[in-house]
This record gives sequence, structure tokens and C-alpha cells, in this order.
Amino acid sequence: MYKAFGIVNFAGNHIRVDGLQDYRPVGACSFLGRYRIIDFPISNMSNSGIDNIQVYVRQKPRSLTEHLGTGRHYNINSKRGKLNIMYTESAQVGDIYSTDVEAYMENLDCIERLPQPYVVIAPSYMIYTADYSEFLNEHVESGADISMMYHSVDNAKDAFLSCDTLNINKQKGVLSIEPNRGNAKNRNISMDTYVMSKELFLDLVKKAHKTSSMYTFADILNELCEDLDIRAIPHRGYFAAVTDFKSYYDANMSLIDLKNASNLFSSDWPIYTRTNDSCPTQYFDDSEVISSVVSNGCLIDGSVENSIIGRGCTIKPGAIVKNCVISADVVIGKGVHIENMVVDKHARVIRGKRIIAAPEKPGYVKRGDTL
Amino acid sequence: MKQNNMLAMILAGGRGSRLHDLTKKVAKPAVSYGGKYRIIDFPLSNCANSGIDVVGVLTQYESVLLNSYVAAGRRWGLDAKDSGVFVLPPREKSDADLNVYRGTADAISQNIDFIDSYSPEYLLILSGDHIYKMNYAKMLAYHKETQSDATIAVIEVPMKEASRFGIMNTNETGRIVEFEEKPEHPKSNLASMGIYIFNWKTLRKMLQADMKDPDSSHDFGKDIIPTLLNEGKNVYAYKFKGYWKDVGTIDSLWEANMDLLSKNNELDLNDPTWKIYTEDVTALPQYIGADAVVNKAFITQGCVIDGEVRNSVLFTNAKVAPGAKVIDSVLMPGAEVEEGAVVTRALVADGIRIGKNAVVGSADSPNIELVAKRVKGDE
Repeated sequence: MYKAFGIVNFAGNHIRVDGLQDYRPVGACSFLGRYRIIDFPISNMSNSGIDNIQVYVRQKPRSLTEHLGTGRHYNINSKRGKLNIMYTESAQVGDIYSTDVEAYMENLDCIERLPQPYVVIAPSYMIYTADYSEFLNEHVESGADISMMYHSVDNAKDAFLSCDTLNINKQKGVLSIEPNRGNAKNRNISMDTYVMSKELFLDLVKKAHKTSSMYTFADILNELCEDLDIRAIPHRGYFAAVTDFKSYYDANMSLIDLKNASNLFSSDWPIYTRTNDSCPTQYFDDSEVISSVVSNGCLIDGSVENSIIGRGCTIKPGAIVKNCVISADVVIGKGVHIENMVVDKHARVIRGKRIIAAPEKPGYVKRGDTL
Repeated sequence: MKQNNMLAMILAGGRGSRLHDLTKKVAKPAVSYGGKYRIIDFPLSNCANSGIDVVGVLTQYESVLLNSYVAAGRRWGLDAKDSGVFVLPPREKSDADLNVYRGTADAISQNIDFIDSYSPEYLLILSGDHIYKMNYAKMLAYHKETQSDATIAVIEVPMKEASRFGIMNTNETGRIVEFEEKPEHPKSNLASMGIYIFNWKTLRKMLQADMKDPDSSHDFGKDIIPTLLNEGKNVYAYKFKGYWKDVGTIDSLWEANMDLLSKNNELDLNDPTWKIYTEDVTALPQYIGADAVVNKAFITQGCVIDGEVRNSVLFTNAKVAPGAKVIDSVLMPGAEVEEGAVVTRALVADGIRIGKNAVVGSADSPNIELVAKRVKGDE
């Protein structure tokens, strides 16, 4: 059993989830009603026996710190383990100097002090499950310098456009890392998930910092691809990357299908989240709900179709909710027809009677807004 | 303790034998209720919400599950530095062969050492098998205001049902002058809820005497309360208004679940100011399929519904397959209704499967059918 600590990285400057990101980092965005996106990497680490985890955060940490707490709900032992939130003083979203390398440099001593010889790095904007202890074993046994996970997709022309792709040889060696330019269907999408020794990690961070102040960790890897032995390890199962507003909406919607969901969730690999102690959901006499995922604590009178409903929502009589992603504590008023929308937390849609966006361009209702 | 000097003790040793197979392996306080709860979540959450931070739970009958369940005090937030839930099953003692609790009062007597270690001024005695929301801090304030030796919470019941309860007869100030256990001709409709606040010093003395009394049945209702009244102690009735249910039978457990289906029901589990806390189960949100029909239902996380659910309560991870119907029923955690099966006026126990096209319960049966064994369907 090899020992690693975990790093959950923040979403880089190439990622922008319009609207939602004004209030919280991407990792803290609500997902599938009861989760936050960051629940996935942290649960993966916890289930893989990694109990020392650093979560890096840039701006607006409030929502994330509240959600993560002590990490006890992620099954992390409160004495032996640690879930650390790493703040970066200088970081501004969109600032060219605000890179993951900069964040690691600022916290260098905290990383150096960790006793584990290996590090597993995972992003906070991707949704997948993976056993990192297998990943680590495979890495150590291969003798490679770095291993990174990838997912082969056949829709890279119109999806994963902000992601990197891996150019791999037959021996699964990484030849180069390139941005997905959307010019081919079949691509190996980088999952921004790495394992390597702590020593090499620190070397690379320092090297990146010296080379260019705006270098990210992926940049330095790409530059050193020829000098380092980087192996690509394929991932199977559900995979989604939330890189912009549309992909956030699509990732949510894709999991309404229980078949997709059972590719992601399994009873022996629980995804933990913070409980809200909400009671079960109450459906009233006239409720009509089909093809939907509903969280606890809701009061449903109206009709809901092909939607995701967050915790504690109220859907009043005569309301029609279709193809929507509704966050927690939202009220959809009497007779309101809302379609193809993402509704952020605490919003009240009462007076706007018809709020319908185009299916290919879903709309957004701001956090706490009243319409 | 610092806040109110009151310690709570929950009596959770009873079997609840009229719940039949539901309490074969678990004590009644651990029976599931309301989609995601166990009955004992109610007194424990009430304690947490009332600012009581040390709670002893007296267990006896089939206590393995109950002991491990309540020991995790953090579920109810009872895990601050000076706070905790303590499981107190009977133990072997050096001075007598007291290896079981002989009655509700004896359960407290045998734990005088535990209570003394906190030296509380007041002791709150609760039952682990009632469903209600109550602020015990208000009851304590009333206890102090009336300068009582003991305060008993009472609820008004319909006069015609009063003979099923322990009835408190009070004078105009609310002082209890007489207690009658299940009286044939009740003089009042104030039923004891089995919730008591005692001045610990007074109760301690009485319990020590009671332990030595060979004629005593060591019961609060039968022995301690009558003795208090005979001795002319100050005993007041604290009137409670709100939902309160003792779910002693399958029918009443079913009914208490059905109560949750009506709009603005009295128990109001959705009240953010008085949440009921419970185990944090890792489960998916509820999945409602393309052909599902869900009308008037109380459904919790982990449920997968592809069939029809009407007027029913579904507990964690219950599943209703395509073409199946669940009507006027309760599906306990992990219960599964397979394709084409029909469940009507039934209570399906934890993890039980109703096979393909099987028919369980009926719309015109006077009683609720308890399904505690697998029902085979078409193979």
C-alpha cells in the first residue's frame, strides 16, 4: 500500500461557468440536486484511503468552506486525517498570474511538511469516480515519472472544448498535451488527474515558477513531455467536465437517465456530501412528476418534467417546470411556466409567468433573485 | 448542562410487541418512521433543539441496533465538548443481582451514579417511542415558575378515548390532585405523555426508597407518581398542544405515516426552526421515471419510482418497478415492489421484496397488512 496525499485543484482561468461562478468557485456549484461538484474528487480520495487532502481555492471561498467543514462527512478521520482548505492570498480569477503553480508556491512549506511520498492531484470541475489507490499502484509499478488519467471520447468536436487532449503512443506514453481545438471527434481528454512522487511534484512546481510567471502545472508537463516518462491511464465509466455554463447544464441533465447515473454511482463507492437534515419530499394531490431527479425537503404541487430539483424547493400549483436545473431553496410560483433554465439558490420565480429559453442555449436565474 | 442544569434520560427499553415482526430484532424506539427517521430521533432532536446537551438512553430489549444508533450523538448535534448521548443498558452490579431493569423507575434508579456524575438540578424523563415536537425548555420554565417537585406533560385527548390513557385530574391552578391509570369513568381528558421533569434531589430520595420496596413494580406511572401525590408534593400538569402519537400497533404506525401526507399537517417535518435529525444516509436523490405517477406521497432519497405511487410514504432506497402500484401504503427502507405488483393498504417491512405481479393487501380490509416476509411473484 503506497501512501499519497491529495490535492484538489481549482478550476483554471480557461474555465468559466457564467452566472453560477459569480457566487462561488466551480467546485462549490450545486450538482444533481443534492451534491456539489467537489464532492466527487473528495469522495474519490476518501474512498481510496487518502485522508490528507488539500483543497485549493481562489476567490469567494465562503460557500466552499461552509460545505467542506471539517471533512467528517467525507469519512475522513478527524484526528488522523485532514481536509485543509488552502487559500491563496494574491489569487484573482482571470488574473494571468493566478495559476495553480502560484498557489502551490504560496503554500510550499505546507506541502513539503506532508509525510506521504506521493501526491494525487484531481480537478474540482470534473465529475467521475475512480479508485486512486489502483491508479497509484499502477503508477508505482510502471516505474513512470508521472501518470495521468484520460477519458476517450467521441464527441470532442463539440464538447470538452476547454479541456486538454493527450497524444499517446502505443505504450501509453504521453507524447504531448494539447488544447482540444475541436477538429476531431475522437480524442483522449485529459482528466487533469495526476499521480507522482511528492519530490517530483515540488521540483516541477518550482521549475514552472522559474520558467514563466503565468505557467500552469499542465504547461510545465507539456514542456517536459519529452524528458519525463509520463504514462496515460484510461478511465472508464461516467465522465463530465464542467468548463462552461452549457456543460454544467448538460452534465446535470445527462444524469436524469438512471443508466448514466448507475455508471457514475455505485453502492460500494459512496459519494458523500454535507447533510442538510431536510425531511422527505412531499408530493401533493395534483403533482405530476416524470423523468426527474428530486432532492429531499421539497413541496411539489405542480408538474415537473425532465428536470433536477434541489433541496427544499417549492413548486406551486399549476407551475410547469421542464428541462430545468433548479438549485436548493427555490420557489416556482403558481402557474409559472419555466423551461430550459438553470435557477440558482434561493431564487423566487413568481411573477414572470413564462420564462422559456432555447433548448440549445439554456438561461440562468440569479442567486436569490425574485422574478 | 451549563445552560439549564437539566439532564435528560430516555426510556427506550420496551419491545412494543404489538408491532409484531417489526420489533423482532429491534426495539420499538428504533422502528423506522416518516420516510427517513427512527422513532427515537424525535425525543433526541427535541433535546438537541431545546438546548439539553447530555442525554442518557436506557435500553434493554434487542438493543444492538439501538445502542449503536444512538451512540453516534453527532447525528443530533449532541457532540459538542460537554455534550453527549450515553447508552445505558443494564449492567452487572456488585451490590445486588440487578442485571435487568425491572421497570421504568428502576431503570433510572440503577443509573443514579451516572446522573450524579453530572449533579443536575433537574431531570427530564422521556419515552423513546413517541412522535412529537416539543420544546422542553418551555416545560422547564413552567416547572420553575410553579415551583413544582415534579411536572408532567399532558395532552388533551377526546373524552371517549380518555379511558385508554393515564389521566391527570387537576385543580384550577393546574396542580395535579389525582392520577388515574386507564380509568373506566374518566374525570378529565388530560392524558399523561410520559414526559416528566423532576427536581433531581427529590426524585433521588424517592427512587432509593422505591428500590427497597418489595411491593413496588418500580414504574413511574404506577408507583412514583402516586407516591408523590400521596405525599402531597407539588406536582403540576404542563399542557402540550400539537401533534403527539404513540405508535403502538401496525395500524397506528401506518396512520402516523399517513398523517404526513396532508398539506400543512400538524407535525410539519419541514419546519426549519425545529428540524428532526437522523442518520445521514449516503443515497442518490429520488429518481422518478418517465412513466411514473406520483400523487400525494412522501418520498425520500434513494427511492427509484417507475410505477405508480398514490397516497403512500416511501422510505430510503424503496423501489417501485414499472407497472407496479403502491396505494395507501408504507414502504420501509429498501423495500422493493417488482413489476406489475400491487400493494394496497399495507406496510412493507425493511428490505422486503414484493415479487412480479404479486398482490398484497386490499382496499377494503379493516386492518393494515404487515408484510415482513418476501412475497414471491411470477418467476
